[in-house]
Amino acid sequence: MMTRNNLFAGALVAPLFLLVVASFIVPLLITLYTAVNNPEVRATLPHTTAAVRAWDGVGLPPDDAFAAIARELAEAQEAQAIGQLSRRLNFEQTGLRALLLKTARAKDRLGPPWRDTMIELDPRWGDPELWQLIRRNTSTLTPLFMLRSLDFTITTDGSIAQAPKEDTVFRSLFVRTFEISFWVTVLCVLLGYPVAYTISTLSQRWANIAMALVLVPFWTSILVRTTAWFILLQREGPVNALLQAMHITDAPITMIFTRFAVYVAMVHVLLPFVILPLYSVMKGIDPVYMRAAASLGAPVWKRFLRVYLPMTMPGVTAGALMVFMLAVGFYITPALVGGPDDQMVSHFIAFYTNNTINWGMAAALATLLLLATGILVVMARLIVPGFRAGNLKL
Amino acid sequence: MHQSKLKSIAMTSLVTAALVGANAVAARDLMVVGFGGGFQDNARTALFQGYAKATNQKVLDDVYNGEMAKVYSMVKAGDVTYDVIMVEAPELVRGCEDGVFEKMDWSVVKKDKFIPGGTSVCGAGAVLWGVSLFYDSTKIKDGPDTYPKLWDLKTFPGKRSLRFGPKMTMEIALMADGVAPADVYKVLATPAGQKRAFDKLDQIKPQIVWWKSGTQPVQLVGSGEVAYAVGYTGRVVRANEGGAKYPLLWKTLLYSVDSWAVVKGSPNAKEGMKMIEWITDSKPLLALAETWAVSPANAEAAANPKLREKNPGMLSAHVNDGLFINTEFWVANGDDLEAKFNAWATK
Repeated sequence: MMTRNNLFAGALVAPLFLLVVASFIVPLLITLYTAVNNPEVRATLPHTTAAVRAWDGVGLPPDDAFAAIARELAEAQEAQAIGQLSRRLNFEQTGLRALLLKTARAKDRLGPPWRDTMIELDPRWGDPELWQLIRRNTSTLTPLFMLRSLDFTITTDGSIAQAPKEDTVFRSLFVRTFEISFWVTVLCVLLGYPVAYTISTLSQRWANIAMALVLVPFWTSILVRTTAWFILLQREGPVNALLQAMHITDAPITMIFTRFAVYVAMVHVLLPFVILPLYSVMKGIDPVYMRAAASLGAPVWKRFLRVYLPMTMPGVTAGALMVFMLAVGFYITPALVGGPDDQMVSHFIAFYTNNTINWGMAAALATLLLLATGILVVMARLIVPGFRAGNLKL
Repeated sequence: MHQSKLKSIAMTSLVTAALVGANAVAARDLMVVGFGGGFQDNARTALFQGYAKATNQKVLDDVYNGEMAKVYSMVKAGDVTYDVIMVEAPELVRGCEDGVFEKMDWSVVKKDKFIPGGTSVCGAGAVLWGVSLFYDSTKIKDGPDTYPKLWDLKTFPGKRSLRFGPKMTMEIALMADGVAPADVYKVLATPAGQKRAFDKLDQIKPQIVWWKSGTQPVQLVGSGEVAYAVGYTGRVVRANEGGAKYPLLWKTLLYSVDSWAVVKGSPNAKEGMKMIEWITDSKPLLALAETWAVSPANAEAAANPKLREKNPGMLSAHVNDGLFINTEFWVANGDDLEAKFNAWATK
């Protein structure tokens, strides 16, 4: 039963709830839908869709399917609506775009008997597999984007197969993304832990100064920080100049456009995300525990391993989780300081969104990245000690 | 925070909201969008504001990086804020088929004033652009002057900078492998030809530094990061004007044409057509040439002897040496080769 208090609480939560729905859940659902949505054939070729659906799928479809597609392609070109369709089918099978445009342009040469004139125009219209491909794509949803994102493809007869070797990229891309994110996380924790510990032991005044040193870069734009690393690490940049001045090397070392540069810049950008939660957890630990352990005769390493570390684990896991999830989606930093073989999944999401305007592929990659990250986080919760939602103190 | 401060912030945002709302209601000025850089800075005076002065139509201009995603979203959402836009040839053809650009109104824009190949269904030619091989002749005396020589790592050691993407890079690889310019697209259309291009690129892959934006090649050569680069000739000419010594190797030229188009659904479509007619005329283009070395797609301006003399990088004087980047080929094969190139490069 609803009491007045419940209603009041509901009203207070409503703005947040609406914000979450509008800014998170709705875009997420749209992305999921875009990854499997297949509207092009039905939208551009409605009569053809009806005709090939009525066809039994054996041999070639009846003449009215040929007539419908010839007419509808010409209409679509005239109405400037053929692009999405031709690109979509070209993505299924390279070369189909040219065939569709050729057919649309040849409308004056086509006529009854449609089947014969179209096959005369281009023998590919006499290929039953082409018609099956069109029929397959009259469906509302398609698995193709998801399959391609995992280096599978759909063959001409409609079965699923491994993509040809020169086209495989995505499995190794996902592995690389998680590998880079994992090592960035490890480095951030190893570097951030002693820093947070040191700050937590300083007097208030020095702690404030140290905290400011952590926070000022944190407030600086990620683009600025990455560009700074670009300048520092380039061939004739300060780092190389210093190394040469100190006679550590004779010739400049290639640091920019390498995996090394990606690690350096990413760790630098993400370090505050592990220092801040660690610091807040360490501040809350009463020194009396360590003294008790010492009075019971535990050596330093044992005090750290058995008492201090377990108590700081919530901070470690919270920081590591944040660093990992942010790292998985990194785009700007690898794009600026990494080489082509240091790019992560986001590079391809941006590529499909901006360059080839293939939003199905972009959405499929984004969905898979989200799924894979979710699975990894759940697995980490099961394996890593002290990793419970209730322990996430920020 | 103080109560009064909060109040003043609230007031400011209210006033801002009211102003923005009022602006949205008022008729919009004509918005021209280009790729920015020196061209746009100079075109602003000679072309955009020249047109504004001649017709009393207020003109604003903005910059985009050539990526079409934003324009597509705009047209899809029915909220078109760009009117006249400069686009590259493949994007023009594709956007035309997708209904992202209006069909050119050839009753307003005079079709016969353009160079051959300067017009299409949705676009009117603006300027020619090209890339060619260059290096710093103060550091390297006799550098490679053909693409096969660029692949000769023994005679010409050092890093090379090429464009990150299949367009231009794959043509260059095939020419380096001895394919005649006239046959490049025939070969590249076959899977065997594509493999041949990638195999050729593999030979120098560790020595390649990729560039993504047009400012990079000149920077990379200037800073000594790379020894040789294939970059935009316009920027090489500019660097030479600024004192650099980069030879212009016209035999290595690959070129194309950028066009003006009107974004579909623009409330100023009619005005946009009129503006395109005005800014593609030879008179304003010659005025622009006073301050910026252009290679106009207007035939009369392109043939102007004074302009040819003034701009040593004028592409129309060198197109016979170069390879015309095949627009139709890249519209048909671009998506597939982009994906293949990305797969190859990121391996």
